[in-house]
Amino acid sequence: MTAPPAMLTGNAAAAWGARLADVDYVPAFPITPQTEIVEQLARWSAAGEIAARVVTLDSEHSMLTAAGAAAATGARVFTATSSQGLLYGLELLYTVAGWRVPLVLVNVSRGVASPITLEPDHDDVLAARDAGWLQIHAETCQEVVDSVLLAYRVAEDPRVRLPAIVNLDGFTLSFTREPVELPAAAVAAAYLGPYAPRHTAIRAGRPMAQGVAVLGGAAYSYFRYQMHLAAENALAVHEEAAAAFAGLTGRRYGLVDGYRLEDAELVLVMSNSFATKGRAAVDRARVDGVPLGLLRLRVLRPFPRDAIRRALAGRQAVAVLDQNLSVGAGGITVTEIAHALYAEPARPRLLAYVGGLGGKEIGEAEFRRIVHDLRTAAATGEVPAPRLLFTEAEAAQVGALLRLAGKAAAS
Amino acid sequence: MKTASRIVGTAAVLEGLVAQDSPVYGAERRGAPLSAYVRIARTPIFERGLIPAPDLVVVADDTLLDDPAVRPLAGLGPTGALLLATAHGADAVRAHTGHPGPVVARDFLGLALAEVGTAAAVSTALGVAAGVLAGLGPDAVTAAVRGELAALGLPAPAIDAGLRLADLARAGLAPLALGAEPHERAGADGRVVDVAWAPAETGAPTIVAAPNTPLRRTGSWRLFRPVIDLERCTRCWICFVRCPDGAIRLLADDTPRVDYEVCKGCLICLEECPPRAIRRERETRTWAAAGAAR
Amino acid sequence: MSRDPRAYRNLKELAREEFVLPGTALCAGCGGLEALRLVAKVLGDRVVYVNAAGCFTMLAVFPYTPFRGSWLYTTMASAPAGAQGIRDALDVLVARGRLGPDEDVEVVVVAGDGATYDMGLSATSGAVWRGLDFWYLCYDNESYGNTGVQMSSATPYAARTETTPVTGRTPHGMDRRRKDLFEIWRAHRPGYLATVSPRYPLDLARKVEKAKSVRGPKLFLAAAPCPTGWEFDPATTFHVARLQVETGLFPLKEAAADGPVTHTYVPRARRPVEEYLRAQGRFRHLFEPARQEAVIARIQADVDAYWARAGGSESAAPRGAGTEEPR
Repeated sequence: MTAPPAMLTGNAAAAWGARLADVDYVPAFPITPQTEIVEQLARWSAAGEIAARVVTLDSEHSMLTAAGAAAATGARVFTATSSQGLLYGLELLYTVAGWRVPLVLVNVSRGVASPITLEPDHDDVLAARDAGWLQIHAETCQEVVDSVLLAYRVAEDPRVRLPAIVNLDGFTLSFTREPVELPAAAVAAAYLGPYAPRHTAIRAGRPMAQGVAVLGGAAYSYFRYQMHLAAENALAVHEEAAAAFAGLTGRRYGLVDGYRLEDAELVLVMSNSFATKGRAAVDRARVDGVPLGLLRLRVLRPFPRDAIRRALAGRQAVAVLDQNLSVGAGGITVTEIAHALYAEPARPRLLAYVGGLGGKEIGEAEFRRIVHDLRTAAATGEVPAPRLLFTEAEAAQVGALLRLAGKAAAS
Repeated sequence: MKTASRIVGTAAVLEGLVAQDSPVYGAERRGAPLSAYVRIARTPIFERGLIPAPDLVVVADDTLLDDPAVRPLAGLGPTGALLLATAHGADAVRAHTGHPGPVVARDFLGLALAEVGTAAAVSTALGVAAGVLAGLGPDAVTAAVRGELAALGLPAPAIDAGLRLADLARAGLAPLALGAEPHERAGADGRVVDVAWAPAETGAPTIVAAPNTPLRRTGSWRLFRPVIDLERCTRCWICFVRCPDGAIRLLADDTPRVDYEVCKGCLICLEECPPRAIRRERETRTWAAAGAAR
Repeated sequence: MSRDPRAYRNLKELAREEFVLPGTALCAGCGGLEALRLVAKVLGDRVVYVNAAGCFTMLAVFPYTPFRGSWLYTTMASAPAGAQGIRDALDVLVARGRLGPDEDVEVVVVAGDGATYDMGLSATSGAVWRGLDFWYLCYDNESYGNTGVQMSSATPYAARTETTPVTGRTPHGMDRRRKDLFEIWRAHRPGYLATVSPRYPLDLARKVEKAKSVRGPKLFLAAAPCPTGWEFDPATTFHVARLQVETGLFPLKEAAADGPVTHTYVPRARRPVEEYLRAQGRFRHLFEPARQEAVIARIQADVDAYWARAGGSESAAPRGAGTEEPR
């Protein structure tokens, strides 16, 4: 039986995920807004409530090295970071994925410097999208703990064997409490089983050379392709894992998540915790008789092309609201969604928005603008140029700040 | 061999042709076989990387012909030419390799040692010879030698010696009709296949085999081999201890045995042997039966 | 299985078996490889070598490995953090009954001076400060060797490298002294700390054997004369290695935890540094086209000053000790 819901922050939920997964090792390094995760695990470890050893390393680059090396030794590993820390260890994200060792990293998303900030967007976790880690993005604190367990199950599956990132937004999830039902420890243990890899080990009597240099393009390509094929396997493995999870807890997770999609002619695509605001925007639009639905991206890697295509085929118009920015190109996920839709005969008009950078509010006026654009696109086929979301009030606010800083006022 | 390829490349450009030359980089450190390649054309060269089907193969060390890890003649077609620094004659080379196309065999190493005094100068000799065989003019080749030796930072006397070596190297050589046959393009044959998923036991870059570096046969690196005079040897263990690669093993009675499959020929053992019981011999391999080289 | 370190009285007590097999891609005559090979003979095959980027990364190139133990290549800056992860994981797995104690291995970081003196300092500092139970073998060829011999902070004063070239305006190449890594490491109070040379295998073997009984960081700085980078005939690697020690430029010493520094070998009469410099092409500019007397004198003065200090306050082995080494 599950425990009654507790009020837990996203960070606490992440820590509970690691605890329920009965991890062996937590290499740690503090960074806002993730720090509470490793603090909680350190307290539990020091008190003997978890068997995991928690060790603070000298940097995230070292932390991720220790994480991967411990996983390569055969331990179940958990770690957490954000933003600058993820970027500092970016080299290791590629390295560890190439080692083909499963482990779970919780990224608490935070905008990247420069300028340095603390509030959330998804530039950090998406900078890692090519490195070979699975990525699951959580909308709620409940989903955080559940996704950590799902992530271990998928990552450790012999058909996958890649490390996984579970992303949760800083502040709006990390420090925000919501009701969370924690699976019982026995349920989690049965769901995951022990981690006993055969493909990696460091032990006497079974010498193995790992992470070796590979010269010669054919062999190098082979190993890189294998990572990709394993990541693609994760689509089916995730569905199996989610079905098993639903059987145990009643909570079902898909590769994507839909809200009022069934009869939607217009669709708003979002991810992470601000998708909750998207639900509210959908409800407001529906009150006005607009057939709007929400598609929430959940599994970002492997990219669920088919699921997205099926969800968006036949719609009139789709607006992707990226809370990230590839400078010089625009939103990141809209390009991947466009690729998923390209061969679809019944593909919708595709609109692109960038908003919420550094946790910037996405208010009702901005959602109204998006809905207006969707309706215009559906009616006339006219698709506006990609838009960077900003309001008049925000412009005025920034203007005042610029003047205080001795800079020319924005015109 | 980088110098050889650059002499050819530079000479080609001086003649108004298009060229592309490069050394080939691999894992090997100092002492290992090196190679280089050069493309020459009248029109822009739309290809990159290693040459799969050369018109001319230039080999500086004839012991490499039989080395299965090196296989210098791979891809050389029946009308292609082989230019070889060797003490053997062209007929012996033809018989040994089974190559039906033109073979130019000359003791370029001997010329280099005599004229310049270093084995490395064989690269100059071979570059010049290759340039002549490729039909490049003598002035362009000479200018290329001067330029490339200067680029190496060699002092004037060494450059002069290199130019004298060039004259000796090219004596009696005439252009061959190279490149007359249409080229096999890289990967022209072969089907494109799907890559199938493999479990991580296979698909991760790990090695589970027992230590296997001896299979790399670094013995091919040697120019000289150490030979132990077991009568003089006092079984002191010094050669065994000092060999950085561990290429010398000890029998039960402490007799040292050099593993010539892996010995790189650094000659530390010769240098360190207290009774001076180790001598060096120019590396030669007994050529196996004809046709073994491919 | 530890032996009494004093047992290494003559070469024939070294293991006959190889634990790093021949056939690797490293340069013929590599002094660093000899150091690794000798250390491996004392440590055996129940080890995992954790590597940072450098020449030794070329030891294991798919599909070949020379090791009878395990190997993990990490990154250039973080091999000690990799060692941390492995050691912690082994401890947890043994504690939780998923690994038998007989399956445990020694964790040995193997890194060149480039990784060790420069970007690896953060991870090393952390690991040693944490008291990690591991070994560190730094093969010091005084440059970034694998990338073609560029300067590192281990490059000695007056050495020519590709990034400290000798020109009219820079007549003596490298213009500053190299870092004192031994003292940097020593400030962290590791369990055991030593310099070793591949030319003095008994001294090396004794130190490795002694360190086996130490729990905590066991740090070794190995002289690695480099025929490719220092420009000498590979046959003379141990001639150069011997001069490196006999001139006093590379002191053979050790220190344990908070204890004093002990020199395990003191040259009876130090050879003039000039003999060592003349033996290598990277110092040729000090003699040709003109002798740079002031530079040579400075190098000699530095080494004299070191031994004046060492001979005074710190304990030293009796002069000529360590003469079990064949001369």
